[in-house]
Amino acid sequence: MSDLLGTQPKASSLSDRWGPVALYLLKRLLSGGLVLLAGTAAVFFTIQAAPGDPALAALGEQATPEAIAAFRAEYGLDAPLMAQYLRWLLGFFQGDLGQSLAVARGMPVGELVLQKLPATVFVGLFALFLAVVLSLVLGTLAALNRGKATDTIATSIAVFGISMPDFWMSYVLIFGLSLGLGLFPAFGYVAPGDSLLGALHAAFLPALAIAAPMAAVFARTLRAVLIETLSKPYVTAARSFGLPRPFVILHFALRNAMVPYLTIVGLQIRYILGGVVVVERIFGIPGIGSLMVDGAFARDYTVLQACTVVFLVIVLVVNIAVDMICALLDPKQTVR
Amino acid sequence: MTSFRRFMQNRTGMVGLLIVLIVALAVLIGPALIPYGPEDMDFMAILAPPSLAHPFGTDSFGRDVLSRVLLGGRVSLTISFAAILVAAVLGSWIGILSGYHLGWTDGVLMRIMDLLFAFPSFILAMLLMVLFGFSSVNIIAAIALVYLPIFARIARNTTLLIREEPFIQASRLMGRRPSAIMLTEILPNISAPILVQASVGLAFAIILEAGLSFIGLGVQPPTPSLGGIMSDGREYFSRAPWVLTMSGMAISVALLGINLLGDGLRDLTDPKLRERA
Amino acid sequence: MTNQISRRRVLQGISALPLAGSFSLSPRAALAQSTTLTAAITGYNVINSLDPAKASLIPEFYVIWGVFNGLMTFDDEMNIVPDLAETVTPLEGGGYEFTLKPGVKFHDGSELTAEDVKFTFDRVMAAETASPNAGKLAKVKSVEVVDPLTLRILTDGPYAPLLTFLTNARTGTQIISKAAFESMGEEAYSRMPVGTGAYKVTDWRSGEGLTLTAHSEYFEGAPTFETIEVPLIAEEASGVTALQGGQIDMTSTAPAADVSVLMKDDAIKVLRQPGLNTRFISVNLRKAPFDDIHVRRAFSMAFQREAMVQAVIFGEGVTAQGLLPPQLAAYYSEEPRPYMSYDPEAAKAEMAKAKYKPEEIEIGVITWSGGWWKRFAEIFVAQVNQTLGTKLTVEVTDANTAYARQKSGDFEAGVWGWLGMVDADEYVGDILTTTGWRNFQGYSNPEVDALAAQGLAETDPAKRPDFYKKAEAIAMEEMAVIPCFCSNIHNLLRADLEGFVQRPYSNFADQFRSMKLG
Repeated sequence: MSDLLGTQPKASSLSDRWGPVALYLLKRLLSGGLVLLAGTAAVFFTIQAAPGDPALAALGEQATPEAIAAFRAEYGLDAPLMAQYLRWLLGFFQGDLGQSLAVARGMPVGELVLQKLPATVFVGLFALFLAVVLSLVLGTLAALNRGKATDTIATSIAVFGISMPDFWMSYVLIFGLSLGLGLFPAFGYVAPGDSLLGALHAAFLPALAIAAPMAAVFARTLRAVLIETLSKPYVTAARSFGLPRPFVILHFALRNAMVPYLTIVGLQIRYILGGVVVVERIFGIPGIGSLMVDGAFARDYTVLQACTVVFLVIVLVVNIAVDMICALLDPKQTVR
Repeated sequence: MTSFRRFMQNRTGMVGLLIVLIVALAVLIGPALIPYGPEDMDFMAILAPPSLAHPFGTDSFGRDVLSRVLLGGRVSLTISFAAILVAAVLGSWIGILSGYHLGWTDGVLMRIMDLLFAFPSFILAMLLMVLFGFSSVNIIAAIALVYLPIFARIARNTTLLIREEPFIQASRLMGRRPSAIMLTEILPNISAPILVQASVGLAFAIILEAGLSFIGLGVQPPTPSLGGIMSDGREYFSRAPWVLTMSGMAISVALLGINLLGDGLRDLTDPKLRERA
Repeated sequence: MTNQISRRRVLQGISALPLAGSFSLSPRAALAQSTTLTAAITGYNVINSLDPAKASLIPEFYVIWGVFNGLMTFDDEMNIVPDLAETVTPLEGGGYEFTLKPGVKFHDGSELTAEDVKFTFDRVMAAETASPNAGKLAKVKSVEVVDPLTLRILTDGPYAPLLTFLTNARTGTQIISKAAFESMGEEAYSRMPVGTGAYKVTDWRSGEGLTLTAHSEYFEGAPTFETIEVPLIAEEASGVTALQGGQIDMTSTAPAADVSVLMKDDAIKVLRQPGLNTRFISVNLRKAPFDDIHVRRAFSMAFQREAMVQAVIFGEGVTAQGLLPPQLAAYYSEEPRPYMSYDPEAAKAEMAKAKYKPEEIEIGVITWSGGWWKRFAEIFVAQVNQTLGTKLTVEVTDANTAYARQKSGDFEAGVWGWLGMVDADEYVGDILTTTGWRNFQGYSNPEVDALAAQGLAETDPAKRPDFYKKAEAIAMEEMAVIPCFCSNIHNLLRADLEGFVQRPYSNFADQFRSMKLG
């Protein structure tokens, strides 16, 4: 079969793929590490360059010089910049992110982050899942019924989706599904460890609010890629051999659409995380986003710095994961 | 067929353009037509529901919500537009420079762009706002910085595609200065993808600005902004839902117009899509 | 009652529908039926310390009231009655002798003795504690232990508000365990305090919430609810949605905008009454432009207090021309004061006398995002700018920073207020005297200081108010702060929740013990 359909990428066994993919993973991890290093340095020095003294921010303008000196010594702010950075970096790799200056003064930021991270990861993953499911349905329906009413409806939903900022979407959902129909809670968070169903129920609206605009972007990408793939000679050939349509779609089209689709998912993670910040705030989810907003209002530089770096790490991890999946799906295209 | 005529035939793009024009017109001359200023308080009409006198109702200070939405829209659109303009100009320049010179210029510039691109957009903008203050210039700078790498990449990739084209090689052989070649030969040829990206970017910039103002880290009162009005409205949204709803719908209409226009522009510049349309 | 139960049932039924019944109501809500109460602190998400001596913010006291007891307490009619004390006997020359109730147990099982009480008071008074509540015991000379259940508090002459300041209200004189404090250290104790109250803190998630667990050996009998979850919800509006959605059972406050709507809702009980509080614009008298009395007076006449009450708290309160609230009836001055009403012409004329030009006044008015505080600053800024042509801006930060900046003098102006103060001395003595700990503005007038001192020593309830009224009048004439309004206090409860008695100082955790689902 595959000989007849010459352009179809040859399916290789998993073991064939692992070699180059492992090498690729190593390369990606290395470059990811470099970006992380440069990123932490950029954040660190930008915060240092910003006007405003963290000691003054924490103690107030009328603080005595002694109090400021003591504060600077306590938080290690009196050392040279480079030394401060290296110390911060060393601490970072040991899980020590410094002490909170204002949000929870004196508390280790690493502890704060660990406390808040699970909620963000849970809601973020849930949102990603919803976005993927929604977009697969919408995008496939649209592509397969190109030009028909289904396509128009699906495409319109997608356009409306990207025209709804997540925080506005949150309130539409709260109005409709929570206060209106009473289906989901409008506020609060249940840890998945306490009850998985309860957690999914409580996080459904925030996750959907984050997912909706993303689903729209994903669906549009999927539709475009699918339309292109469906017009490829091998797909036409497969159809002409009388293979059933759903089989062709699943086996050839969707599979080939996966790499560009996942690439977009990886790129969009930057926006998803932005949505997390605002939506966490609206739904009262005790996550990194809420922590960062608290840190922002309180001018708590260590918290801000830690949260920014945590978000950077999340982006890097997701992108490496996406690249790996792409590499496994299609080693020839990705691993070069 | 000229591009313009082709665009006229693109229904999506035309609807988008129409909405964008209406929105632009509304925020530009609308405030002048409304008998209430966005700052005029009327304590006899606090949280009045939509009526003929106040089509969008009034807010907690008795201010006309329509007037505030229009002026807030003007502020939000201006900031977003300026930010995308800065990002597009600066990004194109960086991208062309990288793509044309390659070598270490390319290496250094693109690594910086990669680094910027690694940060989640909202987080980066939020951090910059907190560090450097909430002035409009800073909001523009923060949003521009977030979108800079996208424009730079597009400009670079397009430059790479055309840098070995005969007409550019010819210019080079004629001894024209690189800066002149970049400006007169390369720039016009990469403007189409940049324009398409700008329309997409504008929509995201509006969302970003509104999000910042919504959580209180963007445009500061008393200057109205769409995000700020929504944030105010949510505080009493069970009693006066129109403040949040009307400003939310306004932002959606603007975004819808820009997105449709962007789709139209993309269809126009993407030859593959055009053939099959 | 049957009405909203059936509504709740219906909601439960619906919520089980989506995704083919894979969702049920969260188990927390189900638990709530029997042993857990979720009582949210709304409008705040900051609690720094649960050490009574160190506590200063109202949300801190909301919790402290359930974790500790005072020697005295307020009953439902706001009379001062013994709490941990069994008897109270006045002493010659000022002070009291107290006997303690026998057999009162701390959370760690140890028994309360007079030593704990002495330790508590000595610590509040000690300079090195730097307690914001030290002023409550300002005239206490010494605390003497007579026997394990008897002690004397000796004062420097008559000290009128002493018993008031020993109540389990916003006083900071709640009794702590000496042994536990000494073994844990101040830092640990302030997070997991050991008191005698009906509930003990078992978990505290910074900026997020606390878990309280019943103290089974509580001296007045074990509480009804085994566990109280106290989430911190920064925005009052979110508290309402959470209550309507059944995620929480009650709130500590209500958004004023929603009160009229909520009162029509059968599923929610709204408790409201005029509060013991004061809301004002705090101005820094040490700095330009508020070092100029004419600027302060001009600003005070440049905005409409009535409009403020309508626009900021939607009519849930009354305008103020001083700090002492109408609820402190004997101390409240009704007659109009100069410079306290909107008069644009007079404001401009006053401004012209100042050494600063209005268009050169470009300062930020500090506020924080959360509830109506932002609108409070916004309307003040808008109106003053409109009337005088100044260039004020609204500066939004978080509540904690706003507090820290005002306390440290790092501000020009900010919206501010105090809630839950039960004695006139807390208004006049703390806010308006030179050494008052709530005097962020740096106001100082020897006459006011002297009058406040006299008020403190005057034990005759008929004569005492006079001193405070006079002191307040002087300070208001000089515009030590710009008074704005006094607001109603609210609690929102699900309709079937019973046993919460609201008090004008805005109480909270002190009522958990006797609450139950009806």
